[in-house]
Parts: sequence; C-alpha cells; structure tokens
Amino acid sequence: MTVSSPSEGGGVPASRPDAPGRLASAGRMLVDAAEWFGRYIWSGWVGLAGLLCLAAAWQAGHEIYGSFILPAPLETIQVLLGLLQGPELARAASETAWRALTGFLLAAGIGTLAGAIAGYSFAAMRIMRPIVTVILGVPPIAWIVLALIWFGSSGGAAVLTVVLASFPISFAGALEGVATRDRALDAMARSFGASALTRFRSVTLPHLLSYLFPAWTTTIGSAWKVTVMAELLSNSGGIGGELATARALFDIPLVMAWIVLVVAFALISEYGVLNPIREMTERWRSAGLPWGVKR
Amino acid sequence: MMPHEKAKLVLQDVGHSWLGRTVFEGFDLVLRPGEVVALVGPSGCGKTTILQIAAGLVEPLRGRVYRNYRRHAVVFQEPRLLPWLTTRDNIAYGLKVSGCAASRRHAIAAARALEVGLDPEDLTKYPVELSGGMRQRAAVARALAVEPDVVFFDEPFTAVDVGLRRVLQDLVIAAAARAHFSALFVTHDLAEAVRVAHRLIVLSAIDGRVVDQRIIAGEPGTRDNRAIFDIVESWSHEAVFAELFDADRRVSA
Ligand SMILES: Nc1ncnc2c1ncn2[C@@H]1O[C@H](COP(=O)(O)OP(=O)(O)OP(=O)(O)O)[C@@H](O)[C@H]1O
Ligand SMILES: [Mg+2]
Repeated sequence: MTVSSPSEGGGVPASRPDAPGRLASAGRMLVDAAEWFGRYIWSGWVGLAGLLCLAAAWQAGHEIYGSFILPAPLETIQVLLGLLQGPELARAASETAWRALTGFLLAAGIGTLAGAIAGYSFAAMRIMRPIVTVILGVPPIAWIVLALIWFGSSGGAAVLTVVLASFPISFAGALEGVATRDRALDAMARSFGASALTRFRSVTLPHLLSYLFPAWTTTIGSAWKVTVMAELLSNSGGIGGELATARALFDIPLVMAWIVLVVAFALISEYGVLNPIREMTERWRSAGLPWGVKR
Repeated sequence: MMPHEKAKLVLQDVGHSWLGRTVFEGFDLVLRPGEVVALVGPSGCGKTTILQIAAGLVEPLRGRVYRNYRRHAVVFQEPRLLPWLTTRDNIAYGLKVSGCAASRRHAIAAARALEVGLDPEDLTKYPVELSGGMRQRAAVARALAVEPDVVFFDEPFTAVDVGLRRVLQDLVIAAAARAHFSALFVTHDLAEAVRVAHRLIVLSAIDGRVVDQRIIAGEPGTRDNRAIFDIVESWSHEAVFAELFDADRRVSA
C-alpha cells in the first residue's frame, strides 16, 4: 500500500479535440471578435463627440482672445498637416515615442514585478515600501535635473525620468492587487492540486489585472508628458525639442500643433491599445452590471 | 506504511493548534472505500480544521495523514467559483488543472451541470448571473467532475433553503452510490448527517475530543423521512448531542 498525494496519479486521459469542433469554435471566436470590434468602434463615436465639445470650447476661446494667444483649432490642424509633409515630424515623433514607450515598459515592468513580489512577501513589502515612498517623494523635475547631470543631452535622461516618476504607480497597483487576492479561491485551486504557477494564472492574475490596468493607464499618460518635459529641458530633440524651437520663434500655431500631436499619442496609447486589451480580459466584469454581459 | 490496509484515508493521532491555541488533539479517522462519514459538532470545535488537514490544505502540527487514492475534491461552505470564468469553465476547472483537453472537459462539464440540475443555457453565464443555489450546484458539479475517489464536504448546504438542501443531499447520496466515492461530510445539522452518512462522529466543543462515534442504521438513500426523524428525535435527548443543540440554540438566539 502506498502513501500518495492526491495531486499525483493519472488524470483523465487527454483526448485530441476533433477537427470540426475546433473549426466551429474558431468560427465562433471570429464572430465574437468582429462583434466586439464593432461595439468598440461604436463607443468610439461617443468619445469623439466629447472631443468635439472640447474643440468647440477651444474655438470659442480663440474667438475671444485672438490668434496670438490661442490659434483656432482648424489653423492648428492645418499646421499639423503641413508638418506631416516635412521630415521633422516623423523624426521628432519617433524619438519621443521610442523614449516614452521604453520608459513606460520599464516603469510598468519593474513596478509590476516589484509590487507583485512585495504583495507575496511581507518582508519584501516592509523593505520596498519606504524606498518607493522616497522615490515618489522626489519631484519629477528634480529627477530631470539629476538625469541631465548623469546622462547629458541624450534620450536616456527622458527615459530615466519616466521610469523613476511612474514606476511607483505600477508598484502600488501590483502590491495592492496581490495583497488583496482571494485566499479562499486559492485554497479551492490548491484542493484540485493546482501548481503555484497555475494558481497565479487562473486565480491571482485576473484579480491583479483590475488593479494593474488603471496603474498602467496612468503610467502611459504620464510617460508622454514627462518625456516631452525632459526633452524640452534637456534639449535632446524629440517633440519637446521642437516645442522649445517653436516657442523661441513665437510660432504659436506650431506650438499648438505639437501639443495636439502629443495628446493624440496619449489618446491612441490609452484608447487604442490599453483599453481594448482591458476590455478583452475583463469581459466577465460587465456580467455584474445592470445591462449584463454583451453576447 | 498505511495502518489500515483497505482504507482510503487515515488520520492518525492528529492534533492542531492555531496561533498556539490547541483546537483538538489525538484525532483518529479511518475512511473506508465507499463510506460516507459525517462529522458533527458545535461551531468552532475544529471541524473545518480537520477537513482542511484531511484534504491537505493545512499541514497538521501533530500526527500523520495517510492517503490511498488518486484524487479528491472539496465542496466548501461557499461556492468559491472563479468570477471571471463561465459556469462551464468553473465546473471544468479541476479537469483543466489536471490537464484534460478542452473539448473533453467541456463535454464532462455539460454532463455534470445537467446532473446537478443546471440548465444548458446556464453554462455560458458568469457566477454573478447565477442564484445562490445555482452557484452551490455548480460547486458540487465541479467537485464531481474530476471523478474523485474521496470528496470533502464542509457544511456545503447551510446557505441554501430547506427544499433545495434536500435536493442537493439526495444528489450527493446518488452520486456517492453511483461513483462509489468515500466522503467526509462536515455538518451542523444532525438530520443532514443522518440522511447522507453511514457513520457519525461527534466532536466536543470544549477540547475538540471525539465524544461519540456511531453507525447509522441502513444505507444512505434508503432511509425515509420518518426513519430519519425518529433517529434524530431519539438521539437529540442523549447527553452527547446536548452540546450540539445548545450551540445551535446559541447561534439562533
Ligand atoms: N486560519 C486560522 N487561523 C487562526 N485560527 C483559526 C483558523 N481557522 C480556524 N481557527 C480557529 O480554530 C478554531 C476551530 O475553527 P474551525 O473553523 O475548524 O471550526 P468549525 O468547527 O469548522 O466551526 P463552524 O462550525 O463554525 O464552521 C476556532 O476557534 C477558530 O478561531
Ligand atoms: Mg467550519
């Protein structure tokens, strides 16, 4: 007679999914995806309506204060379209985008990983919390000054500033998410012999994501802003550099055009990338809403 | 070395303390194949702790646990469904953990859902869209889906109404008879214990001692309401059950 743990021993023999079944389920998934995409575009119209309201207010401000203080939206768009013809937009935008995205990925990656470790380990949390609080306490502008000294006028200053200014947000989100995981569900998973990795994937991660997405959204937004700020102050090209030049020339429509471009990038990264991913992973949440899950 | 050759599960001289406070000492249990053992006792006497130790969720501080089976499943007091999975995926969760292919586990989940009285359209719903009773049905289906050799029930039906409780008890009795699994069934309710179990263990509130063990006459499922009522009625006057009913009165007061 052997002493065995219930998690070992043979499972239900795995059978290969039959081909027609797989085809049908793939078809269903395709239809689902198309439906979901349609809904997403449709909800985009509502967002667009909000943006147009903002544009109307901008136009009103322009009519009150005149072109020198606030150029008209249309004029700005024309300048922006003009910029699209030249080479400097592509160069500046790609520089800024590369720095902002690198900064975002590093900040979100480091913050999430450290936060998750702190959430699992009480000792790690005790050590890391004060460090993060100190880093958070240093104003971003001070990081720019320090990064300028360390990196000079290169993109590194912008990236470092983004990372230091925004990784605490992901850290706090991941820490909170892991610390508030449902231990009862974890015990349920353990009772079926689920490994630590399986339990993380199926029990902790879905819960953690609802803490991470708001943190990541804030991080990507501030990544663009901080990058432009660092570029402007460190004179290291990018959109920030172009802004500095336009300001020196007192070319207000050009300033506005660059600002609109940065805002567009921030909007695209939030509504075009992060939000669709969030919607896909958190479909179950809408099941609890009064109008139910959309099928 | 397993002390009892045929037993599925043996707890030998098990004791446990939480934060230095001893809950129980020297607890022995032998669970034979196909046997349903009910564990009754007043609130806080350590029933859940014993069940968690038996199910391997908690390491006992003293004593040994011997297991001689392939797999087990636990039905908790709360449904403990994963809110981000549909009913189908929740029922199939244990199968997924053990590496069963998607099409096969979906088929098994659908069959089990039907057995516990869920409708096919409930399969695509998320737990928030189910009633409390439906969630507990799904939790029972999830446990039975892995074809366990031993099932641990921790007061599984305390939160459901009396009518549904009967239905779910009958379901467990039928499943145990069909699949021939052994079960440890923790409950507060003497009538429930008498309905579902072969054997009864009564724990004391004071030190978690076993104050009594008895065989319940007849097979589960063959006892009618009258017989169950008579057994409960005659036992409830005995001293060993006094504590149980006292505690119940304390809770309801
Ligand atoms: N995780 C824990 N940490 C600390 N103490 C615990 C823990 N779990 C249980 N206890 C304590 O152990 C004792 C027994 O608890 P247990 O949950 O086993 O009782 P029970 O018999 O299942 O009660 P009930 O019928 O109310 O569910 C209680 O005094 C409780 O406070
Ligand atoms: Mg309990």
